Amino acid sequence: MRDITVMMLTWEFPPRIIGGISPHVYNLSKSLAKKNIKVYVVTCDFPGAPQHEVLDGVEVFRVDSYKNPSPDFATWVYLMNVNMQKEAAAIVRSLDGKVDIFHAHDWLVADAGIGLKHVFRKPLLATIHSTEIGRRNGIHFDYERMIHETEAWLTYEAWKVICCSNYMISHVKWAFGLPEDKLVMVPNGVNVDAYTKNETEDLQQFRNKFALPEEKIVLFVGRLVYEKGVHVLVNAVPKVLEKVNAKFIIVGNGYMKEQLSDLIRNMGLSHKVLFTGFVDDDTLRKLQKCADVSVVPSLFEPFGIVALEAMAAKSPVVVSDTGGLSEIVEHDVDGVKVYVNNPESLAWGITRVLTNEKYADWIRNNAFKKVKEKYNWDEIANQTKRVYDTVLEEYSRSAWT
Amino acid sequence: MHVIIFSWEYPPRIVGQLAYYVKELATQLTKSGIEIHVVTYHDYLTGESNEQNGLKTYRVTNPVRTHIGVLTWVLTLNQEVERAAADIYYRAHKKVDLIDAHDWHFIPAAVTLKKALGIPFIYSVESLEEHRSHGANSPFNMAIKSIEWLGMYEAQRLIVKSEWMREEVSRIYKVPLEKISVVKPKSQGWLKSILEIYREVAGGKNVKCET
Repeated sequence: MRDITVMMLTWEFPPRIIGGISPHVYNLSKSLAKKNIKVYVVTCDFPGAPQHEVLDGVEVFRVDSYKNPSPDFATWVYLMNVNMQKEAAAIVRSLDGKVDIFHAHDWLVADAGIGLKHVFRKPLLATIHSTEIGRRNGIHFDYERMIHETEAWLTYEAWKVICCSNYMISHVKWAFGLPEDKLVMVPNGVNVDAYTKNETEDLQQFRNKFALPEEKIVLFVGRLVYEKGVHVLVNAVPKVLEKVNAKFIIVGNGYMKEQLSDLIRNMGLSHKVLFTGFVDDDTLRKLQKCADVSVVPSLFEPFGIVALEAMAAKSPVVVSDTGGLSEIVEHDVDGVKVYVNNPESLAWGITRVLTNEKYADWIRNNAFKKVKEKYNWDEIANQTKRVYDTVLEEYSRSAWT
Repeated sequence: MHVIIFSWEYPPRIVGQLAYYVKELATQLTKSGIEIHVVTYHDYLTGESNEQNGLKTYRVTNPVRTHIGVLTWVLTLNQEVERAAADIYYRAHKKVDLIDAHDWHFIPAAVTLKKALGIPFIYSVESLEEHRSHGANSPFNMAIKSIEWLGMYEAQRLIVKSEWMREEVSRIYKVPLEKISVVKPKSQGWLKSILEIYREVAGGKNVKCET
């Protein structure tokens, strides 16, 4: 007999990967399944992925997301939720209602989570990975306000709200006016084994595809959007090149891509900066292992999973001193912290790592030790299970039972 | 028999004809001894419920105040409709026989409740997006049409108000004619016809052949 049955609701799950929620829900579900928790994942469909499968002990249902053209992204989200809710309802009914908790990830599945909570009268738990007010640096239009209020509604309906960093806890508390005891911090994690399993492989040939042997590799991984601060890195490029011969590799896509590559071209630095677009997991991990420094120059960062990944890949990290990044990195011990939105400071941090090999090794080794001990999924699953236990204990004394 | 009626307009909130019709329908059905719960929207007359001569009304409001259009407004409102309907269901010891959903607005809620709790629903068609938008097919119209289609597909039965509408529903959405009943409001014996359809749907009958 399983202890607890959880239904995860998420708009992305591998192989559908848009941002950090997908790997988060995958690793969390897999680790929970190892702890005798029955996990169902209900997510959007993806070309080539089966509608129903058992993946590492997790039962995954991919539902038909709304595929007609949509007026805008938010409307698509609400329309997709009509389908997700309908399908999830049918699944729960086929299980005779034997689901103990609905666990929703971000506003993208708010409607479905809230609806399921009420029709089955089971507790809803929300993980808030990010907020609209943070992503947009304020609320300026009705479109943004609608999303903001949907997030607020989700946190209102949720029994408990999980955030991945202390920074996010205080941010979410402020943004939605939540009481302290509704919030629980459970860190995000990284799968260190994925980085260590081929430790002995020779990456020289792979590296040669991206940079000359004499060039140091500076790696950025993330969506090319304002909040990720990739423009800060681009502005730091000439300042770094004054001191070190380096190749800047920018992985990811986003609305700023064209603007940034134009800027690089106008600087006459096209040969020093490479935009790879979206790359597969394997290529990404190899790049992270080859990187002489990984930079995370975000302006807003609820957690900063990409910094943890770099640390697991034993690549020294330079991060902006903000949000979750401030908590992950200890300056001069397991990484370098620089001022937010400041190309001078970022260039200083990058140069500091690239010009001192002993220093780079010191932070690289400390960082690897830290991710292994503090940010492993087994421990995160334990903490999440404790939240489930608390919620179910409180629920058992509620009017709904 | 326990019946929940969904309508996005209901007195005192009047948008068009539908509000008066649903009020008349609910009143007459209550008089004939059916337990009727109306779930509708009102922006400030909200609260648990209100009972008048046996007829119960539940007015919900939108949990998301700011919207960019009627579509997003309707979609987030559906969760509140589900909450109200689920409350009725659990309070009635899970004895709700059917839902009668008027127009497309609360179709998502009706479908979820059907899938989750096994409550069959009737889709009462007042008008269609095809006619309201004169055949326009922007993503916005298409979304509303897709919700109408979902309702027609998932409903146990459709009730329309004229022979013309029956033909139109069948023409546009390819719904089999025998799934669609015509009941002309306030014509002779209209209430009896509705009651008959309710009893059949509540009894688990799928399709009635209409001549």
